[in-house]
Amino acid sequence: MNSEPVIHVEGLRRRYGDFEAVAGVSFEVGAGELFALLGTNGAGKTTTLETLEGYRPAHGGTVRVLGHDPHADRRAVRPRIGIMLQDGGFFGDLTVAETVAHWRGFTPRPRPADEVIGLAGLEDRTAVRVRQLSGGQKRRLDLALALLGHPEVLFLDEPTTGMDPAARHATWRIVRDLVDGGTTVVLTTHYLEEAEHLADRLALMHRGRIGTSGTVAEVVAGHGDRIAFRLPEGLPVAELPAPRGAVPDLAVTGGRTVVTYTVGGGGLQPVLYELLRWADEHRVALDGLNARNASLEDVFLSTAEGAAA
Amino acid sequence: MNAALSRRAAPVLAVVRLDVRLLWRNRTALFTAAGLPLMFAALLLPARGEEIDGRSAALVQGTGHLGFFLIFAVFMNLVSVFTARREERTLKRMRGTALSDAELLGGSVLTAVGMYAAQVLGLLVLLGAALDGRFPADPLLLTAGLAGGAAVFALLAFALSGVTPNAEMAGLTTLPVMFACMAGSGVMFPLDELPDGLREAARWLPLSPVVEITRTAYFGEDADGAAVGLLDGWSHSLYAFAVLAAWIVVGRYLAGRLFRWEPRRG
Ligand SMILES: Nc1ncnc2c1ncn2[C@@H]1O[C@H](COP(=O)(O)OP(=O)(O)OP(=O)(O)O)[C@@H](O)[C@H]1O
Ligand SMILES: [Mg+2]
Repeated sequence: MNSEPVIHVEGLRRRYGDFEAVAGVSFEVGAGELFALLGTNGAGKTTTLETLEGYRPAHGGTVRVLGHDPHADRRAVRPRIGIMLQDGGFFGDLTVAETVAHWRGFTPRPRPADEVIGLAGLEDRTAVRVRQLSGGQKRRLDLALALLGHPEVLFLDEPTTGMDPAARHATWRIVRDLVDGGTTVVLTTHYLEEAEHLADRLALMHRGRIGTSGTVAEVVAGHGDRIAFRLPEGLPVAELPAPRGAVPDLAVTGGRTVVTYTVGGGGLQPVLYELLRWADEHRVALDGLNARNASLEDVFLSTAEGAAA
Repeated sequence: MNAALSRRAAPVLAVVRLDVRLLWRNRTALFTAAGLPLMFAALLLPARGEEIDGRSAALVQGTGHLGFFLIFAVFMNLVSVFTARREERTLKRMRGTALSDAELLGGSVLTAVGMYAAQVLGLLVLLGAALDGRFPADPLLLTAGLAGGAAVFALLAFALSGVTPNAEMAGLTTLPVMFACMAGSGVMFPLDELPDGLREAARWLPLSPVVEITRTAYFGEDADGAAVGLLDGWSHSLYAFAVLAAWIVVGRYLAGRLFRWEPRRG
């Protein structure tokens, strides 16, 4: 087992003019690991990814991919990586089959054309001009082209945006198989479910920085499970209980006040039990009661809100 | 050795194959790169029999066209190829493959220069077969002049594509260069007919040295019609080669400054 990380990023900074799009980002990705970058629009995910892909130099910090500087050593790195851009263009006048054929010409030891078209799920669309493909179909062709050269490292920038649920699951299967086969993957996504499903580790970015990172469990851990219900009519707020010390948090949505308890270490069950017993004793009906585990979405929203404030 | 060479050439040829196919699909681009030269060549035929300064007018203009066709096949063609690919982000996608920057850009330059070379050969055959011309007096000098011209206009195409906002505008941004070269480089009429000051300035246009070298190499005579020996052709062309070299330096600098891989944002 090679202990050298496949990707090593430390203190990465990247400016556009005066604007610092990436302001000191650090992470490592080991061989055969899938690392997901999540974050708000404009957080700097694409900029980070394109710097790793060697499109632009870092303005500060270090970036290593497979032991090389991906910008200065593009010649060494490019043949070993696969890139799916957020907004790469196609030659609209070429058919699917022609596109694959030409791209195979650019790639040393490419996958067979049939296999590539199979990965894209476009077997019955080979003679169609790329211009006429749907958005999701283009995205699948995009992915298949990124896999053409059996890359050791795969960069996917919002790979499933615009895909229908079936195509999305097919893509997840492809990516999972690649990771099982030892490919290292870095992807960005706005679908939290995608990150929960695929990522070994993830990082949440906001305004050029990484807020939280770790496994899904680690990232979610500090954020607490939640119990919520509508504030019963006529009940003074001061009379709300503090089950197991949890403090009620009030928010007005749709004209009704919603009470939320965020639960720390001990889990939902004891707090819920105390709350229900209190309601029973006081003959209070808890409308719209729900209890759920913390999700990536909670973390995401609190990162976005917290830093916006 | 041969196997190693063909392995190195394979990626460039892959780009050439793509370029040829795309050019064939894009009839507007094909017309600019190949149709216009064909028209200019056909227009030489009615000029048969007329004379300029004791030389066949068709041959004078035809030898001018040997250089002039750089404007269509190399210059205008490459400006629109690079501008369109940058704006459609296909340049960015191609750059994400195993191709090096040199292979990616060199393949397109090779396609353009190959098409231009074919036009030159066709034109030489036309000059010889239909217009009473002869075999060029100094083919090596001719090749050197045209190759230098190809380098200049490829570099200028890189630079101009960087300031051309989109493929439609490429027709407009290249037009001034085309007209300046057509009128001021001695393609249609010898530069002697221009007033003194203007003539000296015109010699510094990027196409002028190419046309001058081409005529010296083709006729084996200098501009005044005096026969020059083989080596004299080269020494007569020193000034022109110096102008070409200067344009290569300027073109290289501008290309480095202005060429862009991705659309400008905001
Ligand atoms: N070429 C550029 N020129 C100027 N500013 C840029 C450029 N590219 C990106 N930016 C800016 O840098 C910031 C980060 O952009 P980036 O594309 O990396 O964000 P992102 O996290 O990928 O966002 P999204 O989720 O919307 O794709 C944004 O504010 C964007 O406006
Ligand atoms: Mg992005």
